[in-house]
Amino acid sequence: MSRVLRVATGVVIAAAAVALVLVLPHWLSDAKAAELARAGCFFIAIIGLNLVTGYTGQISLGQGALMAVGAYTTAILTADHGFRDLWTIPLAGLVAMAAGFAVGLPARRLSGLYLALATFAFAVAMPALLKRFSSLTGGSQGINLFDQALNRSTGALGHVHVLGRTVATNDFLFYLTWGIGLVLAGAAWLLVRGRIGRAFRAVRDSEVAAASAGINTGFYKTLAFGISGFYAGVGGSLFVLASNWFVSPSTFGFDKSLLLIVGAVVGGLGSLAGMALGALFIQFVPDWAANLSNAPGAPSVFFGAAIVLVMILLPGGLGGLLRRLTEPLTRRL
Amino acid sequence: MVFAVDWAGVAQQVVAGLSSGGIYAILAVAFVLIYRATGVVNFAQGELAMFSTFVAWTLTQHGFGYWPAFVVTVLASFAGGIALERVVIRPVEKASVLTIAIVTIGLFFIVNGAAFWIWSPEVKSMPNAFSTRPIRIAGVAFSISDLGIIGVSLLAVLVLWLFFRFTKLGLAMRAAALNPESSRLTGIRVSWTIALGWGLATALGAVAGLMAAPPLGSFDQNFMQPILLYAFAGAVLGGIDSALGAVIGSLVLGVFLNLLGTYVSWVGTDLRQAAALAVILGVLLVRPAGLLGTTAVRRV
Amino acid sequence: MGAMGKSRVLFGVLSALVIVSAASAGGSSTPGVTAKQILIGGTTPLSGPASAYAAVAKGADAYFKYVNDHGGVLGRSIKYKYEDDAYDPSQTIAKVRDLVQSDKVFAIYNTLGTEQNLAVRSYLNQLKVPQLLVASGASTWGNDYKKYPWTIGYQPSYRGEAAIYGRYIAKTRPTARIGILYQNDAYGKELIAGLQRGLGKKAKLIVSKQGYDVTDTDVKSQIARLKSKKVNTLMVFATPKFAIQSYSSARLLGWRPLVFVNVVASASNTMTIAALASSKRQTEGSISLAFLKDPINPRWVNDKAVKLFRTILKKYNGGEGLTDYYNVYGMSSAFTLVDALKHSGKNPTRASVMHAVTHLNERNNPFVLPGIVVKTTATNRFPITQARLERYHNGQWVYFGPLVHVG
Repeated sequence: MSRVLRVATGVVIAAAAVALVLVLPHWLSDAKAAELARAGCFFIAIIGLNLVTGYTGQISLGQGALMAVGAYTTAILTADHGFRDLWTIPLAGLVAMAAGFAVGLPARRLSGLYLALATFAFAVAMPALLKRFSSLTGGSQGINLFDQALNRSTGALGHVHVLGRTVATNDFLFYLTWGIGLVLAGAAWLLVRGRIGRAFRAVRDSEVAAASAGINTGFYKTLAFGISGFYAGVGGSLFVLASNWFVSPSTFGFDKSLLLIVGAVVGGLGSLAGMALGALFIQFVPDWAANLSNAPGAPSVFFGAAIVLVMILLPGGLGGLLRRLTEPLTRRL
Repeated sequence: MVFAVDWAGVAQQVVAGLSSGGIYAILAVAFVLIYRATGVVNFAQGELAMFSTFVAWTLTQHGFGYWPAFVVTVLASFAGGIALERVVIRPVEKASVLTIAIVTIGLFFIVNGAAFWIWSPEVKSMPNAFSTRPIRIAGVAFSISDLGIIGVSLLAVLVLWLFFRFTKLGLAMRAAALNPESSRLTGIRVSWTIALGWGLATALGAVAGLMAAPPLGSFDQNFMQPILLYAFAGAVLGGIDSALGAVIGSLVLGVFLNLLGTYVSWVGTDLRQAAALAVILGVLLVRPAGLLGTTAVRRV
Repeated sequence: MGAMGKSRVLFGVLSALVIVSAASAGGSSTPGVTAKQILIGGTTPLSGPASAYAAVAKGADAYFKYVNDHGGVLGRSIKYKYEDDAYDPSQTIAKVRDLVQSDKVFAIYNTLGTEQNLAVRSYLNQLKVPQLLVASGASTWGNDYKKYPWTIGYQPSYRGEAAIYGRYIAKTRPTARIGILYQNDAYGKELIAGLQRGLGKKAKLIVSKQGYDVTDTDVKSQIARLKSKKVNTLMVFATPKFAIQSYSSARLLGWRPLVFVNVVASASNTMTIAALASSKRQTEGSISLAFLKDPINPRWVNDKAVKLFRTILKKYNGGEGLTDYYNVYGMSSAFTLVDALKHSGKNPTRASVMHAVTHLNERNNPFVLPGIVVKTTATNRFPITQARLERYHNGQWVYFGPLVHVG
């Protein structure tokens, strides 16, 4: 298929995505908008995970912990230091990026299972560390921005004034998360197509070959972790805003890291549209499962079964399915 | 500086640590079994062990003694593991290792949820495997329970080693794990050796769970998760491609954790997990293949 | 008025408008109340490390069903929607928010856990949603009512409970060496504070405090350290799972201190498991506090209330939990809620139920020990402030001493 057409298709898809984000809230109930906002946070974190695991081939079981870093940055700055919550979002990204680099440094020497263990250790340690440094983090009680954050942009219920217009809070959160999500997705798309992306893939496909081709594999491996940290931090920061301004050490336990990697693989590694589907999967399927039966443990069974079924039927993930569905369309042009 | 060390206390803690380490070792060997055969990280290993333990508990509630329930459960777990592999893993056999890992995560959720669904979340207690009275050896009081668990762990590992070393089936499994292509050519049904591996791993998991539950006093559906964490860590510490390494790594880890928990009080139990993992990572940075592992030479 | 002040007023007006519009969308003037039904909601740990407490909700639910079958409350049936938060405050927030915003419940009731309730308290108070009969003994529910007027607790405060143990030890064991196993959160720390207050000048008898985390696997090392400090009086300020482990770990070390086990872990069925997991000798002599009738105590076997308890569970809970003390807690709490609703007027509103629940004078609650009055006033928001000391003997709890004041 000709290059021009491929680019044109890409532009059309991007435009459609933007339009969808702008228009969707009008058709959604308030509660659904809030849920989709949280899915948007996962979307951002999963893009980051995709960059480090899908494109650079490094297993990260610690993305949830990096989200926690971003979340707590926002919580602490807003609650204790009077920052305006929205301005803390990029800061949260940067702090989590630094954490990502810190994780990425020892990761250079490890691979495969050993790397999985290292990131696993990080994810397990994070809640414990958050509880330990309780003077900073509020300990196991967590940080409740509800009381303390006078510089919150959003109210408990009701409306927000932005750019001269009045928007419902949950709609505002939806726009915020998916708007930032689309921008960051675009950035990731550019990154992947550029030199850095090619270096990532070279490292993934064969580290030895990449090294012999002169690529500084250690640098790119660490960079991948750093970038994934930034995405996780932004996602975590937005998550605090979208979950009633509360964060505690148990919010981002190891189960979140597990959920994120499920979302990334179910979405289909290497597919940005798949990442959105993966995020929607991990946000909504547990809820649907709970609707099927409220008996203790039943939602977990259904959720697990859904994961297994998707992986068996669609080894390329939901993104793979999407690609297969749209390929005939584009091939015909 | 206190020079009068309470040697009796240290000895007790070392034995207690070996007992915990023994449990990690059994689960670590199960873990390594599947990893070496298929390259798959089985996230559900702990939950399967938990499920087996609950099955055994149900048997004890219906008149079975601990050891009869133990035997029935281990056999049932063996069969269950084979069935599980055929139904859930076989369909994705050819997919990427990451995909299969995600399937095991799905299995984790299913088994964990099923355990909550079938058995209420009320606190339960498992009858003791061994007497809870202490026994005096060389004047120091040791727990019979600890010694019993160490014994069972070593026995399980020994039986497995004998199986792999001296039986035709064991040899076939080792060959299939090492080189599936060539093994197929010699007539080995590789697919079935994988199923057998899962059966053995699940049976081992049942042993681990049944050893771990009684000393805890009370156990619930999440009790195997930290044990899996330590088993994984112990296996990696010892060198993930060596079953002996998994055992030694786990025993070392068990003793280390116990001594850390008892003598270093500023490391609270919450940081104990993280501290242990940090130490293991330190070891890995110096010896990236683990204590006993061999660095694989990869063809480019 | 500054910008912040203006936005607060605006916020208040908007909240009121939203609540009114939400209510009118429900077809009546109060959310959750229709001509035939009152909808209340809450969260309970149905799974997770504190799942032993699930019965707190199930018992209440069974009692409400019983009341519904006998005419309900002033012609309305009570529907109690309880969700699982797995003892995780983040999940509590999510579920409570859904109950308030999607299900539009009349009130949040019987949510379990100190930190869990702390996480939602400001949210509920800002929205003026009643947070009723909180299933936690933290004293803040009763003490901080000026700041959080829509919140009220139920059970005797942890601080008061531990103070009773402290006074008892100071009087009867003035040379004890006290060690504390405590849950490292707000609930555990409050028990310690109460103990210190009750010990008064004897607070130095405490020689060791060992904390554990709800996410821990076991408390073996904590028990080992307490033993090594030669503790002879062990305070178990822990939830059931860990209380049981404290007994079994101590037994494995051959250590038998006098144990004070806190109310939330001293239910008879928990103690029975603890004795099975350790030994009969190990649990013998343990001391705790009681304010509810224990269903397997031979003293109450033929008691009218316990018989009713069994009947209700058989009919509405599939016969499960007949030995579960937490079911009794649930029923007692439900009884009090029904009492409050009956005094909330023909058409209950959130304000009227808050008024009723802060003016209780309940002498006929069948589930509490004889002599206990469930009483609140505008300035005293601790509904239950009386209890009896009890000692574990031969597999049963035996009361000793008179009714004590818990405060």
